[in-house]
Amino acid sequence: MRTRINYLQIGVTAALVLLTAHGAGTRTLRAIGTSSEAREDTSGAATLSGIVKLEGSQPVATRINMAADPACLKMHSAPVMSEEVATGTNGALKDAIVYISDGLGNRTFDPPTEPVVFEQKGCTYNPHILGMRARQTLKVANSDPTTHNIHPAPQNNREWNLSQPPGSSPIEESFAREEIIPVKCNVHPWMKGYIAVFKHPYFAITSKDGTFDLRNVPPGEYTIETWHEKYGVLTQKVTLETNQTRTLEFVFKR
Amino acid sequence: MKHNRMRAHFAGILVLLFAGVGQVTFAQESHIGGLTGEASRGKKLYRRYCVGCHGPLGDGRGENAPWIDPKPRDFVTGTFKCRSTPTGALPTDEDLYKSVTRGFVNSNMPSWLPLTRQQRADLVAYVKTFSSSFREEKPPSPLSMPSESAANQQSIQSGNELYQKMNCWSCHGKEGRGDGPSAQTLVDNRGYPIPPYDFSVGTRFKCGESNQDLYRILMTGLDGTPMPSFANGLTPAQAWDVVHYIRTLQMNVKRKKQTAENEKKDGGESKPVGAQPE
Amino acid sequence: MLLRLRAAVIFILVLGVVLSVRQPAHAIPAFARKYDLPCSACHEAWPKLNDFGIAFRDRGYQLGNEKDSPIWQNPSYWPITFRITPEWHRESSSNQVVDTVPGNPALGQTYQDVTTHGFDFSGLDIWAAGTLYKDISFSVLPSADSSGSFHFENVFVRFDNLFRTRWLNLKLGKFELDNLVSEKRMLFLSSNGGFYQVYHYTPFREVQFRASNPPIVQFNPVFGIGDNQLGVELSGHSENSYARYSVALLSSNEGSPGLPNRTYDGWASFNQGFAVGKLGVQRVGAFAFFGQRPTFFNTSFGSPVLSEGLGNKSLYRAGLTGLFYIKKVDFSTVFVHGWDNVFLGTGTAANAPLPVGARGPTWNGGFVETHFTYSPQLVFVQRNEIVRMSRQVFRTDPRDLGDIDAFSFGLRYYPFMFSRAGLALHTEYSLVRSYKSASPLPTSTSPFGPDLRSSSVFIGLDFAF
Ligand SMILES: [Cu+2]
Repeated sequence: MRTRINYLQIGVTAALVLLTAHGAGTRTLRAIGTSSEAREDTSGAATLSGIVKLEGSQPVATRINMAADPACLKMHSAPVMSEEVATGTNGALKDAIVYISDGLGNRTFDPPTEPVVFEQKGCTYNPHILGMRARQTLKVANSDPTTHNIHPAPQNNREWNLSQPPGSSPIEESFAREEIIPVKCNVHPWMKGYIAVFKHPYFAITSKDGTFDLRNVPPGEYTIETWHEKYGVLTQKVTLETNQTRTLEFVFKR
Repeated sequence: MKHNRMRAHFAGILVLLFAGVGQVTFAQESHIGGLTGEASRGKKLYRRYCVGCHGPLGDGRGENAPWIDPKPRDFVTGTFKCRSTPTGALPTDEDLYKSVTRGFVNSNMPSWLPLTRQQRADLVAYVKTFSSSFREEKPPSPLSMPSESAANQQSIQSGNELYQKMNCWSCHGKEGRGDGPSAQTLVDNRGYPIPPYDFSVGTRFKCGESNQDLYRILMTGLDGTPMPSFANGLTPAQAWDVVHYIRTLQMNVKRKKQTAENEKKDGGESKPVGAQPE
Repeated sequence: MLLRLRAAVIFILVLGVVLSVRQPAHAIPAFARKYDLPCSACHEAWPKLNDFGIAFRDRGYQLGNEKDSPIWQNPSYWPITFRITPEWHRESSSNQVVDTVPGNPALGQTYQDVTTHGFDFSGLDIWAAGTLYKDISFSVLPSADSSGSFHFENVFVRFDNLFRTRWLNLKLGKFELDNLVSEKRMLFLSSNGGFYQVYHYTPFREVQFRASNPPIVQFNPVFGIGDNQLGVELSGHSENSYARYSVALLSSNEGSPGLPNRTYDGWASFNQGFAVGKLGVQRVGAFAFFGQRPTFFNTSFGSPVLSEGLGNKSLYRAGLTGLFYIKKVDFSTVFVHGWDNVFLGTGTAANAPLPVGARGPTWNGGFVETHFTYSPQLVFVQRNEIVRMSRQVFRTDPRDLGDIDAFSFGLRYYPFMFSRAGLALHTEYSLVRSYKSASPLPTSTSPFGPDLRSSSVFIGLDFAF
């Protein structure tokens, strides 16, 4: 086996030379994952901010019944509402993800070294929607006095499913590929959240007031998408000039 | 991160083929014990035996799939229930070989034991070609399994407490009848309802019937189903306690040589070999 | 008288052929529907079983996933299969004695080839088989000849895994004798090729004698390995069905219900498979049959009391079997040694004197059947078969009297292969040469005629649903 791999590497090198000569396959070269020419370059960068709204009658949040696990029930004195659709004033839509879906070309970005934390607290996920980078470390913490199982259901990454009893140290995982991954706890069927994985840093999750901010975006033409777990995806195209600040508004219709 | 190197190799293969540096074909192989399975032979066997359910593309959408419950495995995602490797990891060749050999209880997947060892190894090699994962990654080492502790009253009692603490009962029920409060809500990774195992019926488990198999199910989880891995939550000693307790829930099983018998079988227990260093 | 005898001999020969061919061939799409497995999962090329199919059958039509009992099936599931083969065929026989001028026997007889051809259809199988409960299975196969008259080809209930061991399974009813090479699952259908000569062989002298002793005719053929028998069978197998055995106690009546059956026959077979690297599973086995047949009937005022056969005389068959795989090519091989008691061999009642110098006939026979399975949907088949008398009834008989050479080849093409029904385009050519078995001309001084050559050309659509 070892000899085969070595042979392969020799072959790859030969092929690289060939490819470069043909001027093709740059993308493939990058995919090999060693080169990272385009670092995050903040000079002349633009800023894209805006708001995501929900038009039409405001939905009524449904109540979650945690009776199946008394440990969960005991933690809440007030009723717990589903976080599937959360709105603020004037139709501001919380927990929409705004991100650049196209236009970054061949730029590659190294993932941040600091981890992101996805917490199970009060038998819900905190945050409800987590944004993170591909290959960034994800820490899953259980702050509850009951056992959860953290079960992401990805399409492009491989699925895993880990039980996490109370008091155990955080689980460390990562996802290699970009995608928005639903996360469930099978023990507590009401527990649903999302982990959005991006290979670039240009994404934001709207806060209660529906606003978002994408900073340090290199000038260029982009396709911007907004994703919401219930209302789907909206798309806009923008051109960002050097040092420009632009605002965008996304409106989901019920 | 850990997989970068393998992905590099994969990309290298693509580049190599793309660049047309010779018509090099890389044999898709499986290694089970001393056997080498070859995908080219496995393909013919797959066409004969498997294609009706798993489909020509290996996506579990064969012509019979609409009529089958539980649905046939989609090989493209690289997600497999029965593994010796941690949750989220690829199975070893040996794991796949055992699944082909054992079949899956309460499903349409029969035991293919009547096929020769070579044929089953060939099938494993071919099944691996459906998912790019097997070219991009290598399965990690199987979880280690310390030898079984004594199944005494103390162990069973500890297992009982863990069964409560780890919320096993949420799905499997307080008495292990598969009727826990969350049981009705469970779906598999394709959205089809999947019932939790009812221990009281006493059939063999999805991934085998020995205590070792049960231990492995607990610690690796059944990927693609709601059954999680307890590798983070249970120490090996605790896992054995849970195994011993679960055995007491199997009301209908005549408890004789329950573990010993299967260890000897073809495709039964054996040393993990799938993850040998390359 | 002699002419009538010869006519009777021909009649018997023809009858023997008619009875022997169109063995209901076994393929059960009802199982494919039940388990959502393609035909090719159980059949090398249906109806021939592969290793997986052998194991499925050995487990009592069960896959062993706790879903075999009909309680797990959708109530609309119905375990019925039917199979029939519309066809065109051509049958030719050499050295047939015909009148020189048709309609005028007085002008003498001559040898001539008799050939017929045309469109036709086979008999019909309506087969119900499946499980009644976990480890209890059944089979009922009413089978019609092409005129529509039915008989029960098999009827049985089987209990599996007695005392929780797969080595003890019990079957009661009418069933095929378990052997490595099944005539019911052969890939030949024509009149001349659609049965194994060695599975049904009766020495030529014996056929002649029996034809002149009418009550005994009812026991003709004396015994056919390929004929389903009434009885009880104990069988067992290893988990992968590489090792298998069967022992059966049978009524001595060739599977015909209601005939005199006050004695019993015994059958035993054993075979063992070996997985040989990349070649596949090689199987070898042996079988033996020991039986008795009555030689006369009790009579009442001279009329036979048909329910009471008397004067039982014995016979045996023993042989070796082998299935050898070399990747896509496989060989089914059978060797049979046969012996009939001299009373059976001469059609003599046990209470009557034997013909002077008569001996119990013995013979050896065998075949090699080759399959080239190009894919699960295309298989080429070929068979060479010989039967050689090793001891004629009379020392003076020609050594090769009644010997047989048979040769067949053909192909089966399955235009689709899935889990609901089966269709095969079947083409075949078969040739059988029976030594000195043609009727002698009245003018002949020899009691034996020249060789008889029969051939079949067969093109049909074999389908099962
Ligand atoms: Cu939970």
